[in-house]
Amino acid sequence: MLDFSLVNVLGACLIITSMAVVLARTGRVSAQFYALQSAVLVALFVALGAVTGSTELYLWSASAFATKVLLVPGILLFTLRKVGDSADVDLPPKLSPMKCVGLVAVEVFVCFVAVSGIDLPTAAAVKPTLAVALAHFFIGLTCIVIQRSIFKQIFGYCLMENGSHVALALLAPQAPELVEVGIATDAIFAVIILAVMVCRIARTTHTLDADDLAELKG
Amino acid sequence: MIELTVAVIQVLLLVLLAPLASGVTRKVRAKMHTRQGTSIFQDYYDLAKLWRRCEVQPGGAGLVSRAMPPIFLGTMVIIAAGLPLIARACPVPLLGDVITVLYLMALPRFMFSLAALDSAGSYTAVGGVRELLLGVLVEPALILTLMVLALACGSTNLGVMADSVASLAAYPPVAVVVAGVAFACACYVEMGKLPFDVAEAEQELQEGPLAEFSGPSLAMLKLGMSVKQLVVASLFVAVFLPFGAASVATPLGLAAGLVLFVAKLAFVMLAAAVIENAVMRVRYQYLGRYTWFVFGLAALSFVFLVIGI
Repeated sequence: MLDFSLVNVLGACLIITSMAVVLARTGRVSAQFYALQSAVLVALFVALGAVTGSTELYLWSASAFATKVLLVPGILLFTLRKVGDSADVDLPPKLSPMKCVGLVAVEVFVCFVAVSGIDLPTAAAVKPTLAVALAHFFIGLTCIVIQRSIFKQIFGYCLMENGSHVALALLAPQAPELVEVGIATDAIFAVIILAVMVCRIARTTHTLDADDLAELKG
Repeated sequence: MIELTVAVIQVLLLVLLAPLASGVTRKVRAKMHTRQGTSIFQDYYDLAKLWRRCEVQPGGAGLVSRAMPPIFLGTMVIIAAGLPLIARACPVPLLGDVITVLYLMALPRFMFSLAALDSAGSYTAVGGVRELLLGVLVEPALILTLMVLALACGSTNLGVMADSVASLAAYPPVAVVVAGVAFACACYVEMGKLPFDVAEAEQELQEGPLAEFSGPSLAMLKLGMSVKQLVVASLFVAVFLPFGAASVATPLGLAAGLVLFVAKLAFVMLAAAVIENAVMRVRYQYLGRYTWFVFGLAALSFVFLVIGI
């Protein structure tokens, strides 16, 4: 079982968990699903490391476990507590769950079509997973566009970031840890900045609804 | 010969167990409401009583109303005979095709709605429309998930599908798992359980078309509806949970397959009974929200199949 098909199965699990992140009703459940997705991501790195024999990937998986499974969900849950019981955190998205699932399915398919045109020796066996990585960029974008709560929009950024992380691991499994830190791990600072901004916006304007906040511009 | 015996055993099993399954469901509901509840054999008593009563038909009712109860029950019996339940191969290969099964499931629904209009009651007609609407909403998901599985296994024969799922040979594994989840949801809707359909109370709208039936016809319909629940649950068990079914038709293997099948079916029915009592009935304008979500899952499994994971 320890071959590229395991990597592909884990890639599919990434899609399912990211859908759960987008569809979850409350911010808390979203954060928990995000932790689950990151755990799948770590498993994917370990599997890919075992398959390609790249020792760097084990290092990546360790750093991804520390930052993505523990730190980012921790920061988000802490933010949730800081924001308090403001009902805006759990605003319903603008799109019904069915349309979300359909949209995700279409995005994955379009990404697969796009990826099938790419001919790289390193990514021949893991094309489905490469499509998943590309699709995560669009799923993240979908999350940002359809969510009305700015807290949940942070998850969109996190999903995009996970997608780029997977793409990097697939295309350059031998890249040194420093490159990985520069590309992927530093995203945690972006999450911290976003979390601080959500806290301050909640404190100043008493709302997290992006539609209400749009009134502030200009 | 042994195949025919298996088919007969399957039919007898599902038809004889159906009132018991329905009785157990009612008992579970009563326990969850902290009531004492009726005996789990109550459905057998009801059927026996109804069977002895004389039949009364509304004035305007014609052939359709008279023919519907036997057709409803008969179709369910035919489906039950063809499913690969206790062995991995279909006992009657002619009836084991996905397309045949889907059409056989559509036939009773069509007759049901037609009889609802035929009996010329306004309440029954509304119930019949609801039944048709549910069919329109849930059948795309059923068809799509079964098509995904057919493509993954390379055959539309339920026996071949069960065999390839049981031996873990169905190729894109994640697509099959997601299709299984979508199929389970679609089967739950098809079973006519609570958020979607029949509640226990027999008000005109809720059991819709049944309102105008009496005597043996009503007995046949009630039995048919409980058999339908078992048949739909068995279809799910047969195709997506075939583990433990006999791969070769030896008496011992078949006996083990039978015991395991009853255990799996009991588990699925109990899970459905618990879900049923944890939710409330939806207004039929909102049915689409749930069923389209199931269709979305089915579409996702199809995409997974196409991209090969």
